[in-house]
Amino acid sequence: MEALQYWLEGLRVATTPTNLLFAFVGSLLGTIIGVLPGIGPAAGTAILIPLTFQMEPIPAIIMLSAIYYGAMYGGTITSVLVNVPGEATSVITCLDGYQMARQGRAGAALGISAIGSFIGGTAATAALMVVALPLASLALKFGPPEVFALLVVGLSLATGLAGRSMLAALIMTSFGLLLALVGMDPVRGAPRFSFGITELYDGVGFIPVAMGLYGIGEILVSVERPFQEVIKTRLSSLLPDRQEWRRSAGAIGRGTVLGFVLGLIPGIGAVIPTFVAYVLEKRVSKHPERFGTGVIEGVAAPETANNSYATGAMVPLLALGIPGSPTLAVLMGAFTINGITPGPMLFRDRPDLVWGVIASFYIGNLFLVILNLPLVGLWAKLLEVRYQYLYAGVLLFCIVGAYSARQSTFDVVVMLVFGLLGYVFRKLDWPLAPAVLALILGPMLEKTLRMSLEMSGGELSILVTRPVSAALLILAALILTGTGLRSLPFRKVA
Amino acid sequence: MSARQRAWQVASALFVVLALAAVAESLRYGFLDRLGPGPGFFPFCVSVVMGALGVTLLVGSSRMKAAAADGESVVPAGDEARRVVRVAAGLVVTVVLLGPVGFRLSTLVFLVYLPWSIGARNLWAIAVIALAGSFGVFHVFHYWLHVPLPVGVFGL
Repeated sequence: MEALQYWLEGLRVATTPTNLLFAFVGSLLGTIIGVLPGIGPAAGTAILIPLTFQMEPIPAIIMLSAIYYGAMYGGTITSVLVNVPGEATSVITCLDGYQMARQGRAGAALGISAIGSFIGGTAATAALMVVALPLASLALKFGPPEVFALLVVGLSLATGLAGRSMLAALIMTSFGLLLALVGMDPVRGAPRFSFGITELYDGVGFIPVAMGLYGIGEILVSVERPFQEVIKTRLSSLLPDRQEWRRSAGAIGRGTVLGFVLGLIPGIGAVIPTFVAYVLEKRVSKHPERFGTGVIEGVAAPETANNSYATGAMVPLLALGIPGSPTLAVLMGAFTINGITPGPMLFRDRPDLVWGVIASFYIGNLFLVILNLPLVGLWAKLLEVRYQYLYAGVLLFCIVGAYSARQSTFDVVVMLVFGLLGYVFRKLDWPLAPAVLALILGPMLEKTLRMSLEMSGGELSILVTRPVSAALLILAALILTGTGLRSLPFRKVA
Repeated sequence: MSARQRAWQVASALFVVLALAAVAESLRYGFLDRLGPGPGFFPFCVSVVMGALGVTLLVGSSRMKAAAADGESVVPAGDEARRVVRVAAGLVVTVVLLGPVGFRLSTLVFLVYLPWSIGARNLWAIAVIALAGSFGVFHVFHYWLHVPLPVGVFGL
């Protein structure tokens, strides 16, 4: 009941003309980012942050959130039409989506994807309203040891589920943590790892690092490959036939629940829910052998799951201040730039913002289904933009974004350095997500650890004598041990 | 030993060196003080863990199984390498020039150079994109969004 009252107030905030406009602009930009291969949602969100510098926090966050979940819609279009995923969450959609396109059913694939995404996103927003407030209230009762343990669980998941080698993922996590320590010590105020460079007293900027690792790193890897010509595909009716509707209904329902539940687990990432949804659909199907040949359930389930996940993953971000994926880490950086700290206090201190943003998800999803169904032909045209110009534009916005966050050419240099590092890590096949999440969670991790130790007079046992923190740390150990055993000795994990 | 194994070994070794340097630096900050853990406590712990992981991976990379060692080449060659070097070089020069000559001139040159260097040959399209991306973007950010961008010695 309380949530409903808050939501009605949020709806009033979200439906002001300004906020409606920015929800629309965010949905539009998100779709474009999703459509264009070579720009993932993390890089896309990061390069558009400068647009919000002169905006009020609520429309800024509404727009950036819409970019985030809007990218999930757009990614499908390239998967279906050209067999190239617009972003990683649409990889699995290529399997059946492209086959449907080859059979002349591209319209139905795109239609069910947009409708499933809308249902998944809308239902997950309703679930978010129910779950977020109690979770935030619970989190307010957490002390530093519990928050520390929770952060360790999030980082363990991000580390354990990423990449080819658990050791490489752990090294990337420690690299991110080390980067997070550059700058003033949060407790004593002493500079660390700044080597007399005044720009480093404020720490390594998260936005330049994220833009470098994701924006520039992605472009450098993309330019290696020969440029692909776009295959022109005719779009027939966008609505599935009656039999396809019947087959999709269950897939959409299961994808919604699965995506939302997996979204609640910080660190799991946006790709896993789509694969799990696909595998689940194949398991429950009477004809699993048909998957991969162009079955509509193979499109409906993962596309629904990724949008449901996108909203579900907002729960740990908003209620606990823990981003579950690199894109959410970028979004958290955008919150901070706009003077907002996500977490349980936000529900108490800025209910207008939290509930306004949550209510805007409904509106954004509505905009997205409108943008994605009738205008799908227009998005397909966007694929004809030559990559040479596209890459130039993305790199330009990386420069603008890195500079404008703090009006510092030093940050542009930082972005360039991390762009080159991002390229190297991609070539090595070392995961970036653990480093990015560690960079954003590092300061809170250190602060809560030191506060815990100060509470206990320096006794580390405080972390294991309190039941909640002990249980969470055992969970983190199980995650790392479980995934670690699979990856050792240095065999492929994922 | 495959190219990937060698690359992993080099990367692991570099992380070990970074960890050693970070351990040495963190010891300067004070490990503990009267209030509890000092500014060097957490950096020291993280650096030690990073070093230990780096050593383990360095040793383990040589035993990496074939499935993990395979995959696409780590170091690009031929045209692939040339395209990457051209883009990276263009970025480095632009970043170096950004402060001294300003946003408009440095990005104008960059936006002419970059598409051309990776194969675009439509001069009209290049010119339009270069002008819109340099002078146009500056105008939008500087005057409309009130986000200042660098102005160099020529006032551009």
